[in-house]
Amino acid sequence: MRVPFRWLSEFVDTGLTPRELAHRLTMAGLEAEKIEEIGAGWDKVFVGHVDRVERHPGADRLVLATVRAGEHCLTVVTGAPNIAAGQKVALALAGARLFDGHSETPTLKTLKPGTIRGVRSEGMVCSEKELGLSDEHEGIMVLEAEAPGGVPLADWLGDTVIEFEITPNLVHAFSILGIAREAAALTDQPLHPPDAPNLTAAPAGPANLVEIEAPDLCPRYSATVIDGITVGPSPEWMRRRLELAGVRSINNVVDVTNYVMLEWGQPLHAFDIDNLAEGRIVVRRARPGETIQSLDHQQRQLTPDMLVIADAERPVAIAGLMGGVASEVTDETTTILLEAANFDMKSVRATGRALKLRTDASVRFERGLDRNLVPDAAGRATRLLLDICPGSQVVAVKDVYPRLLLPHDLTMSFAEFERLLGMRLSESDVLGALARLGFAPHLADDILTVTVPTWRPDVTLPADVVEEAARVIGYDMLPATLPSGETAPVRRDPLHLLAQGVRRTLVGCGAFETVNYVAVGEAQVRPFTDAANQQGFLHRIDGAAAIRLRNPLHGDRPLLRTTLIPSLLEIAASNLKHETGVRLFEIARAYLPSGDVLPDERMVVGIVIAGQREPVGRFAEPGALDFFDLKGTVEAVLTRAGVEPRFVPTTHPALHPGRAAVVLVGDSEVALLGELRPDVAAAFGIEADRVPVAEIDLDTLLELAEPVSGVRVARFLPAEQDFAIVVAEEIPASDVETALRAGAGPLASGVALFDIYRGPQIPQGRKSLAYRVTFTAPDRALTDAELERVRDRIAKVLKQRVGGELRI
Amino acid sequence: MSVQEQLDELRDRAQGELDDAADLAAALAWEKAHLGPKGDVTLFLRGVGSLPTEDRPLAGRAGNALKIVLADLFEQRRATLAAHDLEQRLAADAIDVTLPGRPPSLGAEHPVSQMIDELSDIFALLGFQTVFGPEVETARYNFDLLNIPADHPARDVWDTIHVESPGELVLRTHTSPMQARVMETTQPPVRVVVPGRVYRYEAQDASHEWMFHQLEGLAVDRHITMADLKGTLTELARQLFGPSRRIRFRCDFFPFVEPGVDFAVDCALCNGKGCRVCKGTGWLEMGGAGMVHPRVLEGVGYDPARYSGFAFGLGIERLAMMRSGVDDVRAFAGNDLRFLRQFARAA
Ligand SMILES: [Zn+2]
Repeated sequence: MRVPFRWLSEFVDTGLTPRELAHRLTMAGLEAEKIEEIGAGWDKVFVGHVDRVERHPGADRLVLATVRAGEHCLTVVTGAPNIAAGQKVALALAGARLFDGHSETPTLKTLKPGTIRGVRSEGMVCSEKELGLSDEHEGIMVLEAEAPGGVPLADWLGDTVIEFEITPNLVHAFSILGIAREAAALTDQPLHPPDAPNLTAAPAGPANLVEIEAPDLCPRYSATVIDGITVGPSPEWMRRRLELAGVRSINNVVDVTNYVMLEWGQPLHAFDIDNLAEGRIVVRRARPGETIQSLDHQQRQLTPDMLVIADAERPVAIAGLMGGVASEVTDETTTILLEAANFDMKSVRATGRALKLRTDASVRFERGLDRNLVPDAAGRATRLLLDICPGSQVVAVKDVYPRLLLPHDLTMSFAEFERLLGMRLSESDVLGALARLGFAPHLADDILTVTVPTWRPDVTLPADVVEEAARVIGYDMLPATLPSGETAPVRRDPLHLLAQGVRRTLVGCGAFETVNYVAVGEAQVRPFTDAANQQGFLHRIDGAAAIRLRNPLHGDRPLLRTTLIPSLLEIAASNLKHETGVRLFEIARAYLPSGDVLPDERMVVGIVIAGQREPVGRFAEPGALDFFDLKGTVEAVLTRAGVEPRFVPTTHPALHPGRAAVVLVGDSEVALLGELRPDVAAAFGIEADRVPVAEIDLDTLLELAEPVSGVRVARFLPAEQDFAIVVAEEIPASDVETALRAGAGPLASGVALFDIYRGPQIPQGRKSLAYRVTFTAPDRALTDAELERVRDRIAKVLKQRVGGELRI
Repeated sequence: MSVQEQLDELRDRAQGELDDAADLAAALAWEKAHLGPKGDVTLFLRGVGSLPTEDRPLAGRAGNALKIVLADLFEQRRATLAAHDLEQRLAADAIDVTLPGRPPSLGAEHPVSQMIDELSDIFALLGFQTVFGPEVETARYNFDLLNIPADHPARDVWDTIHVESPGELVLRTHTSPMQARVMETTQPPVRVVVPGRVYRYEAQDASHEWMFHQLEGLAVDRHITMADLKGTLTELARQLFGPSRRIRFRCDFFPFVEPGVDFAVDCALCNGKGCRVCKGTGWLEMGGAGMVHPRVLEGVGYDPARYSGFAFGLGIERLAMMRSGVDDVRAFAGNDLRFLRQFARAA
């Protein structure tokens, strides 16, 4: 909300500068988001008096104006059509910094004296645009006759506009008067509200002038009928104040309703009573099928849960939101019905949502306006209208108030302040702060009774009263203590610990952690979908059951991801534009349909590597990252997690059919890895030949993990022996190793494959796998005889299980 | 020539040859020639048996003495030459120590992870347990139980991304839903922090993201006060930004706390005097906080007259930005390696 400081200052004199006051209010809960100084650059602009206007000797469209401002008396050449002798105007002297009146965007220029068609012009008479007040550049700005000639213009028109953010709880401060009341309370200065005459003495008008058929949604409705109205422009001062507050001037009647709304917080509406059927108001729910053309020229369908203002026949306004075109005040209007009413906050909010309509009025009603504000706002608006339209008069006033609201008492222990704040407040500070805010506090025997005014619907609990006192007294003296008392022991979350360990392992493997958006679209999911519409990577779901966002930020990405791989591929593609190789991972959740209210959020690790194994450098050996680079990394992670994995060939629509493996621990699938199909990599914009990807389920790993146990300290030197095993080509290496380990028995503490040979010394269709096996015994040094026996057993088991022969 | 003369002549010749041996190989050849199995001293000693009987004792003693003398001489010479040889090899092995090192392949943890782990550690020291909650939430936990009813404009403060579902499901707009989830399942004392992703329907720019991370804090017990909140946040600020930091409260509105504040830390760069980073105010906003609203306590079955609590929320990216000087929040989900590499060092 934009608050012109001069307007605010009519109601309270805090003695503070605008900036000081803005800071004080900000600390107390009314945040000043912006401070705009109007006239800060008007150094050489004065209030001038136009003494004389003569024709320019050399140009029909120009005139010479003699303008006086204090000791300055200048001749100014101007083309402004509205200049006339006797006016008060804004006179700029040479050197003034003004906005270019002809430029689309605000551009400052320094005024220089010049000669126009042979006549010297020593200054300029300014338009509103040139002063930065509005976009008006049709003519010069004409000031009120009472403007004091010769004073700097900033003294007459300069102002500071403070823009406050009004949080949803602050209905009482959603007005200039409300903010003035806060300022008065914070600085302990008196508040001077504007004159709002009581209209109860006016004639009552016809008995049926206002009828409320839905008092549940309309606790109060007051109509003030004023005739003799002449619709026309508003006075300059009102027009300018509205502009500063960010409201466009329409005509004097509409401007008064807006002015009073800004000043008091109570929205008002003026109907042309001659366009109301039977000249009367019925407040009721809309009837089925009724429509209204609202002031924004939209035809709106109304439903019976919506509250409308109707005349004898049809809706003429949507209560609390917007008036209708049919009863709008126009230039022909002479008699108006001025509405000041209170509507149910939930009803206004629901109707606004249904009609997708938000107005300056509705945002105020939605917060729960005070019903007792109605007569003051009606009185203030009437006073202004009668002043602005001489000859107008109040002919009828009807205030229907079926649901009276009175201030309520809130009782609490004074100890509550200390219980919540952790600091003793003095009784006089608390009582003073509450009283200044408009509460009536009374303290007796430690029991505080606070009478809450009806304009503070947000104060219902003792905690609310504590905040009211604390924000006025200020939080700065609050001590800093630590919570005392017993606490539950702090336990570390096992999944978080595992994720941390995995993250550190991956960093040690040269991978960079990323954080990616959770939403994906059809384009990212398609390569991960099979013919039966099963989609995903490690976790596959029925595509029809994917979790969908109703209002995704990016319309082409409406799905919550079930796998991290597509996001990582996108990041890999963008990084490969400037990197020769990437190793990327993410630890995040996959969102899987669960059949329950909430989806199953599984913690998974996604890894994508692509490009050159090593960055350019003097040690770099050329080579592209491939399946085995990633497999080694996955093995490191699984080792860290404490499981013993088996890698089994598998297929996946996105993976190379000959380079994909599912990772099993027992019977559980804990991971899937493989090289991406080249067409899938290309679809993500990755040109690398091989793009190994993997996904690991951390929740499953956590269940399967076995901690380190039974560790023995080695005391004897190990014995190493090499075994070259010749087997048929189709036997997987993992089977050979399993047989080798089985044959070697518990003495084998390490098995490493160090060579694979195919060639002349081996029969066709067979291969030789060379392993180095480390043998250790915990309690003795192994003898040659022992090792010889083990070797024989290995040979036997290899023969039986995989048809293998020992070559050496 | 007598035996003794023969041996003296052999010694003089051998000594001269050894002095001339320029390197270890020449010395070894010398050893072979004189002391080896077919060396002249060895041959002489082997030939003692064929000498006349009366000459044998003298020849044997003199021959053995010569063998010892020559072996000593050889050992001295070998040691000298070996030392020399080592120095020569070391000299030839010199490198340019200014050449780049062989890089170990290391990645880096994401700055958001680093910040979450650091906060989790700091709060563990203060007695707060780290817990995690669902990112897809019901409106009941995300709003209703936090005193944000559907028919109140406070609900509009959070621009919400909704999930298609028969009930009202949302991507959580804050980590606060875990306040209710934790309190529903535990009895006081409660002290938890909840890090995690949150989502808003918000256009992206340098200071706005639709996905970011928060850390929620909650302490509920008898006698928990706003001063305790200030102390806890002061401790946090000091751990993160240095031991002399201070916390300032400003009244603010969050429906699930009362009184509600936002809190700022004095700028470490200018010590609160005002600089470009703090926009001249001397303070940097850190997050929102307050005393848990009595209606939130009632909603989970706690008696607000018996228990009180504080809650606070921190923006993880915001803290990382304050510390590292990053000026565009979009960099965190941008994942450019040139950005991520800079977080390889400890913060
Ligand atoms: Zn600073």
